[in-house]
Amino acid sequence: MNQQQQQSIEGKQQQQQDDDSALSDFLASLMDYTPTIPDELVEHYVAKSGFQCPDVRLIRLVAVATQKFIAEVATDALQHCKARQTAVVKDKRDKQQKDKRLTLTMEDLSKALQEDLGDSLATVKTLKECVGRMFGVNMKHQEYFADSPSTGVDPVREE
Amino acid sequence: MNNGGGENVRDNNSSSSNNNSNNNQDGVIRKKGQGSGGGSGSGSDDYGRAITKIAVAQICESVGFQCFQHSALEVLSEVAVRYLRDLGKTAHFYANVAGRSDCNVFDIVQGLEDLVSSQGFSGASDVNHSISSSVVKDRKPTPSFLQIGEVPDKEHIPAWLPAFPDPHTYVHTPVWKERKTDPRADKIAQARQRRKEEQSLFNLQRRLACNGSSAFASANTVDDGKAKQVVQSNPFLAPPLQSGEKEVSPVVPPAKLSKEPLVNSRNSVLDAFAPAIGTANTGLSDSKDDDRMVLPNKRPILNFQLGVSKKSLGLPVDLTLQNKLLGETTQLIGRGDEKDDKKRRAEQILKESMENSRELS
Repeated sequence: MNQQQQQSIEGKQQQQQDDDSALSDFLASLMDYTPTIPDELVEHYVAKSGFQCPDVRLIRLVAVATQKFIAEVATDALQHCKARQTAVVKDKRDKQQKDKRLTLTMEDLSKALQEDLGDSLATVKTLKECVGRMFGVNMKHQEYFADSPSTGVDPVREE
Repeated sequence: MNNGGGENVRDNNSSSSNNNSNNNQDGVIRKKGQGSGGGSGSGSDDYGRAITKIAVAQICESVGFQCFQHSALEVLSEVAVRYLRDLGKTAHFYANVAGRSDCNVFDIVQGLEDLVSSQGFSGASDVNHSISSSVVKDRKPTPSFLQIGEVPDKEHIPAWLPAFPDPHTYVHTPVWKERKTDPRADKIAQARQRRKEEQSLFNLQRRLACNGSSAFASANTVDDGKAKQVVQSNPFLAPPLQSGEKEVSPVVPPAKLSKEPLVNSRNSVLDAFAPAIGTANTGLSDSKDDDRMVLPNKRPILNFQLGVSKKSLGLPVDLTLQNKLLGETTQLIGRGDEKDDKKRRAEQILKESMENSRELS
């Protein structure tokens, strides 16, 4: 029993050493990669929460984590957009075949955020409720807004 | 996208201050007194937010988007800021829990694990365990009482809480070795033992019958044709026989003297065991040597020691059987007080045997 315990402990220690070395290697490799989010921006926002660290690598770690998160949400939204485009093409072929511009729309984003934020939001339909619930941001969507009688006839998309 | 960056800044400034919107899909984002130092509106963090929008736009471009809606971008940048702040807050919290004011990498790892709770990196929050070696897996929460179908024991426990673990996981019960019991084999062994007991008991009785009292004689089973008389009275309780009153079968002399079988007259105890004797003999003859137990056929030879007896009453009866070709020889160490009676009988037997031998020879 003692031998088994010792072996298991040794195995764990070995694994921990491997993990530690992997982590340190990862942190070292972070210095080679510059995240899209600037370091100063990350420092500014985490300092607002009390996170204080002089080590640049940790800042970069946070930046990379955030970038990964945003990229995931964006990828999901992109897939929704592409799915919608392929569905639309089947219906209308007279007009422009494909809208070649992949646009990040609220609809796709809401779906992506809804998926990403877990099963607890499965009943939430729109982005507003989702963001409002998770992040405390109250985003009101006006049912209709008309500043001229012709508004709403042709929905205009922004670029 | 480069132009978009510049336009974003302008739009952000304009939309955050008033309700201007260019299309139906634009919305107004109102912050709930967040991060702006509680100031009126949203003034203080505009610069940081603008840079965040640029960064998020660049990320979207790297993912594959070519253009975006203003509102969508704003929402996404807001999400990014929230994420950053939550991560910092969580990491700081873990550092405080550990008694530190400065954060280290493990605090960040734990904070990450908190924020990505549905898809867990198992074991990432261990201080001694790195997140890079963990495997992404879906954690299944413990099923509740309702899901299992159990009813909680106590009233104060609601049914939607996770169920208790099974008692066998925490109760240690003693374990006994299971002995395989074969009832059929047991019965067979039991029957065999009983037969052995009966056989040995019967042998003992037979020896006693042959060697004990001279009131009965051996049956001649060699002839196989003679029937045995059934005992009507207990020979042990009967008054002693006088000499000449009863015909007693002659004693088979030792093998060296004569090899003739004897005539049987009466057998008491042996008759009672006649069926058993028959079966025993057949059984014995099957399994053992033939010349070992031919007990009732011949009358055992009694060797008496005539003379002054110095033996005590508690002498055991020596029932050693010696194998002979035709009969058995038993030695009986008689008791002192019965000596006269046996002496008389012995003399009579010897007389008869001598007569027989004379007749035959």
